[in-house]
Amino acid sequence: MELDLAEALRYLGVKGEPGPELYEEMSAIGDRLVRSVEPRYLYRASRVALGEEGVALEGLGLTLPGTLARRMLEGCGQAMLLVCTLGAGFEAMLRAEQARSMARAAMLDACGSVWVEAGCAAAEEEIAAHAPGSYLTDRFSPGYGDLPLALQKDICGVLDAGRRLGVQVTDSFLMNPSKTVTAVIGLSPRPQPARIRGCGACTWREDCQYRKEGKTCGS
Amino acid sequence: MDLDLLYDGLVILDGAMGTVLQQRGLPPGGKPELLNFTDPDLLYAIYREYIEAGSRIVCADTFGANALKLASTGYSVDQVVSAAVGIARRAAAGTQVKVALDMGPLGELLEPLGTLTFERAYELFREVAVAGERAGADLVAIETMTDLYEAKAALLAVKENTGLPVFVTMSFERNGRTFTGCTIPSMARTLEGLGADAIGLNCSLGPDLLAPLLEELCRNTCLPVIAKPNAGLPDPATGAYGMGPEEFVEALLPCLDAGVTIFGGCCGTSPEYIRALAKALEGRVPAPRTYVSTGFVCSATVPCRLDGVRVIGERINPTGKKRLQQALLERDLDYVLDLAVQQEDAGADMLDVNVGYPGVDEAVMLPLVVKKLQSAVSLPLQLDSTDAAALEAGLRVYDGKAAVNSVNGEPAVLERILPIVKRYGAAVVGLCLDQDGIPPTAEGRVAIAKRILDAALRHGIPAEDVWIDCLTLTVSAQQGQAAETLKAVRMVREELGLQVVLGVSNISFGLPDRGTVTRSFLTQALSAGLTLPILDPNRREMMDAVAAFKVLSGEDVGCRDYIARASRAQAPQALPAAPAGALSLEEAVARGLEGEAGRLAREALTSQDGLSLVERRLIPALDKVGEDYEAGRAFLPQLLSAAQAAQRVFEAVRASIAQKGGAPVKKGRFVIATVKGDIHDIGKNIVRTVMENYGYDAVDLGRDVPPEVVVDTVREQEIRLVGLSALMTTTLPAMEETIRLLHSLPEPPVVFVGGAVVTPEHAARMGADHYAKDARQSVEIARKVFGA
Repeated sequence: MELDLAEALRYLGVKGEPGPELYEEMSAIGDRLVRSVEPRYLYRASRVALGEEGVALEGLGLTLPGTLARRMLEGCGQAMLLVCTLGAGFEAMLRAEQARSMARAAMLDACGSVWVEAGCAAAEEEIAAHAPGSYLTDRFSPGYGDLPLALQKDICGVLDAGRRLGVQVTDSFLMNPSKTVTAVIGLSPRPQPARIRGCGACTWREDCQYRKEGKTCGS
Repeated sequence: MDLDLLYDGLVILDGAMGTVLQQRGLPPGGKPELLNFTDPDLLYAIYREYIEAGSRIVCADTFGANALKLASTGYSVDQVVSAAVGIARRAAAGTQVKVALDMGPLGELLEPLGTLTFERAYELFREVAVAGERAGADLVAIETMTDLYEAKAALLAVKENTGLPVFVTMSFERNGRTFTGCTIPSMARTLEGLGADAIGLNCSLGPDLLAPLLEELCRNTCLPVIAKPNAGLPDPATGAYGMGPEEFVEALLPCLDAGVTIFGGCCGTSPEYIRALAKALEGRVPAPRTYVSTGFVCSATVPCRLDGVRVIGERINPTGKKRLQQALLERDLDYVLDLAVQQEDAGADMLDVNVGYPGVDEAVMLPLVVKKLQSAVSLPLQLDSTDAAALEAGLRVYDGKAAVNSVNGEPAVLERILPIVKRYGAAVVGLCLDQDGIPPTAEGRVAIAKRILDAALRHGIPAEDVWIDCLTLTVSAQQGQAAETLKAVRMVREELGLQVVLGVSNISFGLPDRGTVTRSFLTQALSAGLTLPILDPNRREMMDAVAAFKVLSGEDVGCRDYIARASRAQAPQALPAAPAGALSLEEAVARGLEGEAGRLAREALTSQDGLSLVERRLIPALDKVGEDYEAGRAFLPQLLSAAQAAQRVFEAVRASIAQKGGAPVKKGRFVIATVKGDIHDIGKNIVRTVMENYGYDAVDLGRDVPPEVVVDTVREQEIRLVGLSALMTTTLPAMEETIRLLHSLPEPPVVFVGGAVVTPEHAARMGADHYAKDARQSVEIARKVFGA
């Protein structure tokens, strides 16, 4: 697992070249994070059935409503539900850092966002390795497109993420610990095109500072 | 319930409830507690199967029967608990089998990770415990805890509101920690100190992986130890557990040799597993225990074993410290936290916390400070007060095993404080003095130490938790006493074998070049047997002396720590140090050089008053960084570093005002809060940091703040500016409601909003007066409102 420092700098609002001092400090913080916090994840497979109300995940008592889930999981025999978290350890680290330096805390926070994504990617690789002959769809999460945020609670419920990862979803659907991601991945016997890339699928498309300036976060 | 059961031999508990129910049709994520009403026969059958398999204690189906988890079910705690215990009792009728009230985590995270307070958690557990005793439970099993703080709330709730025995089991990961970072020794010694009747581990891992952790647990407690592992690890894709009954039992048996006497199963086990277990344990007897008696204090995440020299940081004590006095009077807890952070970073092993000052209500302040410190500092704390109510309030909310400083040989003091020390399982410092003063001879002091030890033992406090302070007297006033103190240290170590405490810096009071005398005294005292020096860890020469002593005494094996310390001292600083004298205050701020900025400010304050220093030099320097930030020449970390350097300048100004008197530099107070429902607050904290370091005074209401709290604060403190932050679209309605209420006040404040999801359009639609895209814009808004 590698922490994508360039991406973390982008989360921090750094455009163009960071100076050498900022880059070095950021990379030291990233190193410390990688050494002390390991992303942890859980996933569970379910058979998929497209129905009237959405995509039913059989045996889990869960239905994914809306067009995004339908589009993503069409032609998939199975779906994986995934939760990945940096856990309470990261939160403690962030609190301790905030008591010392808000500048370093902001950098750590950005590194954390990238690190939990790295955990999701690792889980995805593991899933792929255990499902030879299957092709994975892009990973998509509650809050993307029309997939409701409220599903975070259900996903954590069926995965028993409270007991097994120490993850909680609040009544306003915030994940606690903060660096926690829930996601769905489809498994299909046929190769899957990338569908989730770009602004069209992004939760932030309405509010994105980059888009307001006519740019994208990837540029 | 008769506790003899736990000491007579081996005890067999039950296996899983949740996963057995799932095997029999409960969907994943379903609420097992509702089966108490919808399918009591199923539960009855499962209890019967466990009893027939050999369980001597069964847990009623009450794992999630608390008011938070039952909120949407339409059932009360009392209804669920009495139904569940009733069914289990019927199943146990006619047998010797005991019924446990099962208490799992509340399902919401406690502060500081979540927003649930310790006090509220206690109330929620109290309700369950009281209902359980009323329903006829024989004991309480608190289980699957991953947060020591939550386990403490539950344990206190049971102990203080019922007469039932109580088991506590927690869930650990392979790395020997829970999700919240709690260690095995911290768990063991904290829960034993709080009066649990048996402790152990359940869930998370199979018996093979839990075995080494159980061994460690057995070395850290005298209590009976419980093992309730899972049936191996679940298959990631299907959730099915891997171990069969035979394999499970085979892997669990080594725990018997480690000293475990109470056995059961957790997720993935079933009556079949318990039957196999009962068969395998038949005729077996408990193994001898190997408890390692040792002085010990801890936070949840940092155990501190007293098997060598441990430094207690002395800085959080307002005596003679004007700036801390001012901070305590103003409830400026961030300043106190800053003192703690500095000492932790300087290498202290624990921190003394004294908040006693005229005008400060210690019983209110001490728990506030304890909560603040444990949110960001991981060192164990020593609560320093003579006020019994303050000590009780502080110990109650402490997450770990604390120390109390102090008692003395006066019987009234011992009778007042020792019961509190015992109740919360703390260690205690005993001063070698009594109603007649300080004995002039070492023998006299040791006699008092013996009396204190005897009193502690009578109150059930073990000798390992009694620390003796032989008292450092000022050598310039009573020269002969230094030798008596050293002699007393030696005698307490050799004759009583107790930990010895000394506040060393008092020795040199009134002398020039105090450091030389203090350091020499420290070294001699360590040689005489001092184990717990209280000193200022920021003084490098003191920490050097301790490090050198540990090399000479052999405690620092292979001189590893000493060498590491020396190489750290030589390592280049993260930021390049500027050549001395080459830098202006403005440049130091702009480059975020905190130490330099503070030094230059102190220098400037000798010829310039605080206000003009701030207005003419600091603010323009910050503005320059702000402009660079807006233009994309500087980024958030640089903006914040400059703000932090500015903080050092303000700190110098505040210290100078506290010293000389005079009006503090305050340009206006603003309220800042993350709205109701929002629990992530780093964005709000960033805005606050930058605004404060422009001289605005923050009233930070924290996160998840109800609209009414914002409104009440604004009204009571006549606030003119309010900043609100929201991270999620789901909490925008709470933001809108807060704005609406604020604007309906007779003198409405100016409201600005920001946060990840907030846009200028949202801000306008919600009726906010301003939208701030970042910290820098917040400062501009404050300037408009306060005109400076």
